[in-house]
Amino acid sequence: MIQNITLGQYIPGTSPIHRLDPRTKIIWTMILMVAVFLIQSLPEYIMMGCFTLVLLLVSSVPIKYALKGLKPLVFILFITALLNIFFVGGRTLVSLGPVTITYEGLIAAVKLFFRLVMLVLTASLMTLTTTPMAMTDGIERLMKPLEKIGVPAHEIAMMMSIALRFIPTLMEETERIMKAQASRGADFDTGSIFSRVKSFIPVLVPLFVSAFKRADELAEAMESRCYRGGKGRTRLKSIAFTSLDLTTTLLGLLFLLLLFGFRLL
Amino acid sequence: MSEIIKTNEVYYEYRSHEEDAQPVQAVNGVSLAINQGEFVVILGRNGSGKSTLARLFNALLLPKEGTVYICGMVTHNEEHLWEIRKDLGLVLQNPDNQIVATTVEEDVAFGPENLGVPPQEIRQRVDSVLKLVGMESYAGHSPHMLSGGQKQRIAIAGILAMQPKCIVLDESTSMLDPSGRKEVMEVLHKLNRNNHITIVLITHHMDEAVEADRVMVMSHGKIVLKGRPREIFGNIEAVRMAGLDVPQVTALAHQMIKRGVPLKTLPIDQSEMIQTLKEVLANRSSRVPDIAPSYFEEQSSSEKAEAIITLKDVEHIYMPGTPYEQKALNKVSMTVYKGEILGVIGHTGSGKSTLVQHFNGLLKPSSGTILVDGQEASGKALKELRSKVGLIFQYPEHQLFEETVYKDITFGLNKLKLDQEEIKRRVFHVIDLLGISPDLLNKSPFELSGGQKRRVAIAGVLVMEPKVLVLDEPTAGLDPKGSRELFQVLSRLNRENGTTIVIISHNMEEIASLCHRVAVMRKGELVLCDTTRKVFSRSQELKSYSLDVPRVTALFEALSQEGIRLPAPVLTVREGAEILSKLIQGNTGGEGV
Repeated sequence: MIQNITLGQYIPGTSPIHRLDPRTKIIWTMILMVAVFLIQSLPEYIMMGCFTLVLLLVSSVPIKYALKGLKPLVFILFITALLNIFFVGGRTLVSLGPVTITYEGLIAAVKLFFRLVMLVLTASLMTLTTTPMAMTDGIERLMKPLEKIGVPAHEIAMMMSIALRFIPTLMEETERIMKAQASRGADFDTGSIFSRVKSFIPVLVPLFVSAFKRADELAEAMESRCYRGGKGRTRLKSIAFTSLDLTTTLLGLLFLLLLFGFRLL
Repeated sequence: MSEIIKTNEVYYEYRSHEEDAQPVQAVNGVSLAINQGEFVVILGRNGSGKSTLARLFNALLLPKEGTVYICGMVTHNEEHLWEIRKDLGLVLQNPDNQIVATTVEEDVAFGPENLGVPPQEIRQRVDSVLKLVGMESYAGHSPHMLSGGQKQRIAIAGILAMQPKCIVLDESTSMLDPSGRKEVMEVLHKLNRNNHITIVLITHHMDEAVEADRVMVMSHGKIVLKGRPREIFGNIEAVRMAGLDVPQVTALAHQMIKRGVPLKTLPIDQSEMIQTLKEVLANRSSRVPDIAPSYFEEQSSSEKAEAIITLKDVEHIYMPGTPYEQKALNKVSMTVYKGEILGVIGHTGSGKSTLVQHFNGLLKPSSGTILVDGQEASGKALKELRSKVGLIFQYPEHQLFEETVYKDITFGLNKLKLDQEEIKRRVFHVIDLLGISPDLLNKSPFELSGGQKRRVAIAGVLVMEPKVLVLDEPTAGLDPKGSRELFQVLSRLNRENGTTIVIISHNMEEIASLCHRVAVMRKGELVLCDTTRKVFSRSQELKSYSLDVPRVTALFEALSQEGIRLPAPVLTVREGAEILSKLIQGNTGGEGV
């Protein structure tokens, strides 16, 4: 159950994508996600698809891992595709009693399917090649200008990275508490919905108690290691734009130009 | 020598949440001095104030009265706060709760980052301290995949990267298995010896204190004993008064003296003991007297006994069909007999916990069959199974959740649709057995002390009146007195109620003194299952599974190798003292009496 979450699971590597400044990755991921929603024609789809594939290959992340991120989305993909098939009007392709599948509907479904797949792949490519620490660092630096209007950029980034750090720990803990309560006669999977929800109280209370205790101890550990907020802090891996980021940005712009340039003509 | 830590009549009290309650005096007038380069161990029971003391050293807490000086700086002067924390690093108990970052090297870098050290220098420091703790090949790893011992070494590295003069460890070894503890202890001694870092280790493991330069014993917020390990352990009564224990070898020598054997010194480790015994036995005939004590005739009656749990070719595979697939149990066949106490030992990750979770149907076997009390453990029988086989996990106090102790204990009972009278009868029976005061029943479980919480959690399983009680490391984190009391409860339960008990433990001394039989797990396989004496007679084989034998057993083996012929193996201090006393007094013609 825990292992199915690809998001936030960094895969160590030394590919150019791994070495990019996290800021470059965050910005370009956002740009590419927008681009995915702007593409319309078949050539555009093919180009976008190829580009995503090239990025995956360059990143040397095993395709299997990247595709795993799609698993939890299979259901949504399927439903949205179905909705499109049945409810988009147009030229009839097949008609089975009250259900009509239209040509336009089918196209829309296929398009949407590929859009969502590309979207997820781009997002997981970022999380798979960036350590959560680097990611939060990047977010912190990108949000730095907002500190002037009172946004606590450093604190937000710190909270995000601690949350990521403790996800596996708390997952394990949940499993352990569920087993312990089950051995005391707790029953999680029979009865009405109401009683099932109620049956989680014996899990949630200890989980919260322990989470607070962990938070308390972590705060002590951080304090005793001289943590005092973002002021005066340096970084082991200080992020910096390098020629690699410049090259990537130029290549990215070139790709966007190729992708959408024809529309301008 | 310069003083790293100096305290002057320090007091600290915790205020209780209830208004009328008396504040708890956690530290009650402590004056001490620890010098540069020393290795000091502070011993004390849970709740003796030693953790509070550690936090006073680090300025996480400030004394209510008195002064704490760290490298000459006063802790309540805020100007020096960061310098004090840089010079004196604190490693905490739970390895999971002190790792901040998601990779090992980033976590080690956290301290120097906070101090504003330039990146290149942080890099150098991280690399060198990871080498010091032997974790350099894990730099890019994610900490949650590491073992407890490895996590604690990372925590130590994180402190070292701040280049401290002193490291204080607050029970940092108490949640580790024996090999993890050994790893950490080796690192600490190396740092003390080669890098001259002052170490203050807070613990209740006596063996860790033997090699210290000095030992301090805390009780009720006060330092009651201070001195070299030899002086401390020589004073057995005072150590036991503080709720602690002495190393097994020392306890053995002490019992021998009680039996009238004239030993000049109290040895504190094995080589000293051998030396002492050799002197006593020197120039005397090496004739082995008739010293077969009664318990050697003890035989397992298991052949005649009735089986209560039978496993046949049980396999368990975690996450089959994924890259994480892992065979946790491999063709395990075994029998648990009615009325016995069975120990399960094995290295961390050998499949012990997976095995016992099959006993009450929490895990289902991938293949193979399990019979519990004549019923196959599958389908509808599973629920019934859980009331027949009670399973108590590690740190069971973490599952308490109800408003009152009474409600928590009866949580499982309420599902059995018993009448209130019967429920009440069972609760009072169990709390009497476990030594829980009836006054506590209406309190919130969260107000209790650690040891009380654990008893309440165990009570919650015992009220179900299971035929088999399975405990996964029940004494983890308990101090010697707490462990001893719990073991007394378990053997009483076994004796009086005839409850079958299965117990997982890393503590071989506990296993040896309590269990009738022992099952040894290794990499998912059951490699040995026999009477306790037979299992511990195979110390070489156990060693190859990274397991130890009790210290007395090891001592007797070493004695045999020294040419002193003895009826090995010996399991407990009492047995050992009896045999050695007979041997010596037999040889000296009883002149020692």
